[in-house]
Amino acid sequence: MPLLEVRDLAVAFPTARGTFRAVDGVEMVVEAGEVLCVVGESGSGKSVSMLAAMGLIGWPGRVSAGTLRFDGTDLLTLPPRRRRRLVGRDMAMIFQEPMSSLNPCYPVGWQVGEALRVHHAVPRAEVRGRVVELLGKVGIPAPATRLGAFPHQMSGGMNQRVMIAMAISCNPRLLIADEPTTALDVTIQKQILDLLLGLQRERGMGLVLITHDMGVVAETAQRVQVMYAGQMVEEAPTAELFAAPRHPYTAALLEALPERALGRRRLPTIPGVVPGIADRPGGCLFNPRCRFATPRCLAEVPKLAGPAGRRARCHYPLDAAGRPTGGHPDAAA
Amino acid sequence: MIRFLLRRVALILPTFIGVTLLSFMLIRLVPGDPIEIRFGERGISAERLAELRHEAGFDRPLWRQFVAYEAQVAQGDLGTSVVTHDSVWGEFITLFPATIELSVCAILFAIAIGLPLGVIAAVRRGSVFDYGLMGLSVTGASMPIFWWGLMMILVFSVALGWTPVSGRISDAVYVVPWSGFMLIDAWYSDDAGAVRSALSHLILPTIVLGTIPLATIARMTRSSMLEVLGEDYIRTARAKGLGTLRVVVVHALRNALIPVVTVIGLQVGTLLGGAILTETVFSWPGVGHWLIESIQRRDYPVLQGGTLLVATLVMLVNLGVDLAYGFLNPRIRR
Repeated sequence: MPLLEVRDLAVAFPTARGTFRAVDGVEMVVEAGEVLCVVGESGSGKSVSMLAAMGLIGWPGRVSAGTLRFDGTDLLTLPPRRRRRLVGRDMAMIFQEPMSSLNPCYPVGWQVGEALRVHHAVPRAEVRGRVVELLGKVGIPAPATRLGAFPHQMSGGMNQRVMIAMAISCNPRLLIADEPTTALDVTIQKQILDLLLGLQRERGMGLVLITHDMGVVAETAQRVQVMYAGQMVEEAPTAELFAAPRHPYTAALLEALPERALGRRRLPTIPGVVPGIADRPGGCLFNPRCRFATPRCLAEVPKLAGPAGRRARCHYPLDAAGRPTGGHPDAAA
Repeated sequence: MIRFLLRRVALILPTFIGVTLLSFMLIRLVPGDPIEIRFGERGISAERLAELRHEAGFDRPLWRQFVAYEAQVAQGDLGTSVVTHDSVWGEFITLFPATIELSVCAILFAIAIGLPLGVIAAVRRGSVFDYGLMGLSVTGASMPIFWWGLMMILVFSVALGWTPVSGRISDAVYVVPWSGFMLIDAWYSDDAGAVRSALSHLILPTIVLGTIPLATIARMTRSSMLEVLGEDYIRTARAKGLGTLRVVVVHALRNALIPVVTVIGLQVGTLLGGAILTETVFSWPGVGHWLIESIQRRDYPVLQGGTLLVATLVMLVNLGVDLAYGFLNPRIRR
């Protein structure tokens, strides 16, 4: 049984111009003990779909899904009170901005201990000792002296460590990390990533790592999902994705990596931007930026197709040599 | 912290001088001085009037009168009432507990009702409750106190007969004036009905005086809560699996209170201004009532001294509010 199973997830927000589907048709399966990376540009719906899985989409957003299960428990029909017992204990999440994600009014020790107290994870008398142990575990020096520190008295990297301590406090089986290193400088990024992966291996947690850094993906993940404009466009084992991307968007993303563009005078880019609320194209959402787009791409919405775990949302998925297949006019020539 | 305190205290002095200058000049712009008001109707001679004015020093140039008054105040002497010849400080201290009692009840009433209403409106933003409350609070914040007081008396005292019309306690009850706070004195008296009588006298003035602060606090709490509820740390709190109540009260409210406390502090000025009207409408024997009378009698020392004391109080409360920030917000503690 997969740890997290998501099928046909959609998140919609009402706007003045009608309902906007920030996330549409997202699928995801996370097995216990594996690392899954979710990549995509800003605004591609990575965070929103994970927040939806955690039940953190606030009013007025609306979440719908064909399937949303955690360890076999149907989260869609679970009453909110029962669902909150899972959230923060069995499934935890850390966020992008450690500075603003911690409450400025409370000491960090108290904030880390809160989940332990609320979920009755350890007897009350042992909360303090456990918090010290957790802070030490995430690499905070002299943890016992840091219990009373406020977030504004610590650095961003230290605060992110506090966030991680908070998330792992109740021994979650699934940890979702939403761009945990984006707000940190490069040397700290590496430390935080190593810490997360170390904890993941040690505890056998499932880890979903949201990132837009392909370098991070290559180093950490067993499997990758690529998102574009609120849709999952490709999924693949990491090595396969890097070797032979099937969706033109993934291929373009990989081409834009500086280390893959050695010897070229200019770094390749993807022209245009992710379609926003007002300029959604018909057919495939990537068609305005796709170099292989045909009239069919403008008219017909592609479905996820291909073998399980290696699917792509494209009418003409690329072959190993990077040529479009499926009867594309270029391929015939 | 010490530097901050010293800077604030240093600012008090110019404010003092400004307040006395204003009240000194404004009351002298009103036609008629205390001597004229007291003896004018008895038809005394112009010579006698001039003599009395000279004795009181009202014939000296204004600036000399002002300098003399400032010098007197600087020595801690607020002077004596021209009318009663009692010391201004003594009269103020006798009447002040009545005003404090009313103001404290009014602000507690405003906080007790306004804060939860604002929180609920923010949590249920866009709902019928939210719109209804915000509409009502505009009405409440712009309610003229004298009219509102009279309407409350008409409905609850005259038509329904639920509450007394005026005063602090029923004539039928005798209470030893020990602290000056009627509720406390009534509590320590042997009379069982005393507390009930004091409460029934207090309830309408409290509501009338508390209405404007209530509306202001509710609006401020709502907008402050709305802002805080969108913060990242609220998402973190929910990601811990905390219930809505705990997220709102423990994580959001404490942060949202910082601007609300400022507003509550600023309301103290409004409150004392409102107390003057409320005390007049309900014949509440407090400082406001006393100040209004001093204007009618052109009792210069009472008006100037009373205004100065009320201004001091407002400044002290605002200083207290600034200190309360440090408690609420650890970021400015040092």
